[in-house]
Amino acid sequence: DIVKKQLVLPEGTDVTGASKFTDLGADSLDTVEIVMGLEEAFKISVDESSAQSIATVEDAAELIDKIVSNAK
Amino acid sequence: MAVAPTRAEALSLFRSLLRTARQFSDYNIREYTRRRAADAFRENRALGDTAAAAAAFADGKKQLEVAKRQAVVYSLYAPKAKSIMEMKLQ
Repeated sequence: DIVKKQLVLPEGTDVTGASKFTDLGADSLDTVEIVMGLEEAFKISVDESSAQSIATVEDAAELIDKIVSNAK
Repeated sequence: MAVAPTRAEALSLFRSLLRTARQFSDYNIREYTRRRAADAFRENRALGDTAAAAAAFADGKKQLEVAKRQAVVYSLYAPKAKSIMEMKLQ
């Protein structure tokens, strides 16, 4: 949902875990904003190198899981 | 001669600006700062000329310093009342 909102995707667009941000029309600036949005939504902080390596929705989900589990 | 920033450096500066924007307690300032940063980076994303890219990057860094200082100063005088945009609907 965060990804859809950021990219203003047409309603009904299929976004799966394997979707690449670039395939959805995102450029590198969009990806940065998506990661920032995810940080706010999950109250986490993503370090620079991790953020730069995110390319798909799945990448983002895995990173968030890792960070959240570390915080507990 | 100035060196053009790498892609990673530009993205890092963009992230720093977005982080600083989040520190503003005032809704209007926070949203403006974020939007302004995004718009400015999009304007310049096609810059291929080394000197122009370096100049734009340097300007971005200066703006980041301004935003950081303002975030601190503003927090000292922030009004108690929240913007209606931030109030949760009852």
